[in-house]
Amino acid sequence: MSALAAPSLSIALPFEAALAEMAAPVLLLDAGGSVVFANARAAALLACAEPVGLPLPALLAPFDAAEPEVDPILEAVRAARPVRARLTLGGDRRVEAALVPLSAGGFALTFEDVTEQLRGAALARQEPLTGLCNRVGLHDRLDAALTEAAGTGVPLAVLMLDLDRFKTVNDTLGHPVGDALLRKVAERLRRATRSGDVVARLGGDEFAILQVNPHAGVEQPHAAEALARRLVDLVGRTYVVEGHMLNVGVSVGVAIAPTDGQNADDLLKHADLALYRAKAAGRGTYRFFEPAMNAQMQARRGLEIDLRRAMALKQFDLAFQPQIRLESGEVTGFEALLRWNHPERGSVSPALFIPLAEEIGIIVGIGEWVLRTACREAARWPQAASIAVNLSPVQFRGGRLVETVMNVLAQTGLDPARLELEITEGALLENTDSVLDVLNGLRALGVKISMDDFGTGYSSLSYLQKFPFDKIKIDQSFVRGMEGNAECGAIVRAIARLGASLGMRTTAEGVETATQLDAIRAEGCTEVQGYLTGRPMPAAQAAALLSVPPSTPPATLPA
Amino acid sequence: MNPKDLRRLVYYSRNRVAGAPAAMDETIRGILAASRTNNARIDVTGALMFNAGCFAQVLEGPEDAVETTFERIQQDERHGEVSLLAFEAVETRLFTDWSMAYVGASQADAARYGDVAGESGFDLSRMTGDRLCAVLHSLALEEETAAA
Repeated sequence: MSALAAPSLSIALPFEAALAEMAAPVLLLDAGGSVVFANARAAALLACAEPVGLPLPALLAPFDAAEPEVDPILEAVRAARPVRARLTLGGDRRVEAALVPLSAGGFALTFEDVTEQLRGAALARQEPLTGLCNRVGLHDRLDAALTEAAGTGVPLAVLMLDLDRFKTVNDTLGHPVGDALLRKVAERLRRATRSGDVVARLGGDEFAILQVNPHAGVEQPHAAEALARRLVDLVGRTYVVEGHMLNVGVSVGVAIAPTDGQNADDLLKHADLALYRAKAAGRGTYRFFEPAMNAQMQARRGLEIDLRRAMALKQFDLAFQPQIRLESGEVTGFEALLRWNHPERGSVSPALFIPLAEEIGIIVGIGEWVLRTACREAARWPQAASIAVNLSPVQFRGGRLVETVMNVLAQTGLDPARLELEITEGALLENTDSVLDVLNGLRALGVKISMDDFGTGYSSLSYLQKFPFDKIKIDQSFVRGMEGNAECGAIVRAIARLGASLGMRTTAEGVETATQLDAIRAEGCTEVQGYLTGRPMPAAQAAALLSVPPSTPPATLPA
Repeated sequence: MNPKDLRRLVYYSRNRVAGAPAAMDETIRGILAASRTNNARIDVTGALMFNAGCFAQVLEGPEDAVETTFERIQQDERHGEVSLLAFEAVETRLFTDWSMAYVGASQADAARYGDVAGESGFDLSRMTGDRLCAVLHSLALEEETAAA
């Protein structure tokens, strides 16, 4: 019998009665680990009517089934030292047990119910729509896996995933269908992974997978590659959701620890960089992180920083390339071309900075500047020549394009009929109907609309039918190919005839040689634009070209 | 649309079960057994045609059940390149039961799986009666030739 249970104590103060009735479950053990006292809460928690006299192993035996959770406590009793340990009791109750050796001999063993606390913590790490782990949960699991991997030396893989075309589903069919699709995607991700791997939804259509448990005998990076390939196939298969047939794809970026990073932040960042490359490679594919990607991303970030301040620093300029009427040889107008002259970089190619400006959204501001500047210049010309300005698909998204064009026309005083806005098929690819609305709004202002780079995009002919373009510009690749390739000639001829029958003018772009010019003329194009008939020139030179009396045949057009 | 309304789903896909006849045999009989139990429970009927090259399947039943069944099929690694040919509302079922059959020219496979059709009640005339099912049937035959 331990001293604590001595009757003398209960006489002085009602300790035993207090212990027996207190809200916290308490057990007192003798030095050998047998129960000498158990209060009512402890008896109820352990589902044992008569705990007193039982050795601790016997009392806890029913809860040791799943995992040897009890061992640390028994070990501490043997060593007479304190310990805290989590136990799983009946009904999935989780408790934290604290064993304290008492100075008078024996032990006090108390229990705290942490079921709700743990459930709350689990919920805080769960994403409600799909039930997958969230970003916080992924971070936790990744940290734990990295610690373990540091000990075992077994590599692990982080895969970042981004759905392709998901936004279209959400936009066209609504969020309920989008959400149902996300749940199906989550289910397929779970199916493709193995127990022990972690699947997380990071938000929107972004997912991540932590692969710690590849098939036996398959090592990294082969296991991650097999999984990435499987994901691209599996997620890309058609979905049937609420009666709709849906197709999305997935792009995957992979980073392997420890090669590509030893902490969670580096790994996630590097997997993200690889994902960015997978998307740039046309989506629906996977890429592994390579150290060079870091350097490339740094370079891109540098370019982005410079591009964001280029406008304020007045580094943009316009060049004007003449457009010539083939029949008469006269200059009918100019196309305004954006130039970026950076003090250190020199002249930066539009092919490099325009996609970046579109990606980061600043093309809207740049496009407005181009429009305003081009119209202001054209308004000063001695002749009412046309001025062509390119529009980016991104400019159609903000809903302000018609208003912007209207303001620019009012401020510059340019006759709307002289302004030709050029769009590519890319602008019509997404949300065709809303883009058509904008085009009709622009047309109502009196401006002209051209289809640029015709023939290089997608279902061109249906767009020609949907909107009466004023002009079709034939992509330079066909013009350049005409000399050696009969098919290019046939395409140019077909587009010219198509334009003629639809009442649209046709401009051949990229004409560089006299032979090409002859061919273009023979095929029936109405206008021509290219190095042969006039390189892009500064505004003043363009104005001067228009000052040449119209009776003089322009020197720029070889007969 | 009511999730209980009748729908017909038609797809065909590439058979990815590796070439050994024994493995193919085991897979086919496994699919037959599993589909029979699962599909009866949720009121999905239809027909599955297969050969060394492809699977071609018609699923009919309540919209939600067909959707769930198809999702399970999509997650199956034993086939790939699934082409969904139709998912449409229908008035009546073409197949009132669940059946499957080997469809192809290979004599060996025809002999091997001859019993499957008889045992599951596969009726080719139902296949060729409906236009889309007839298309599916001929696609299956072409796929076998391509795989050969």
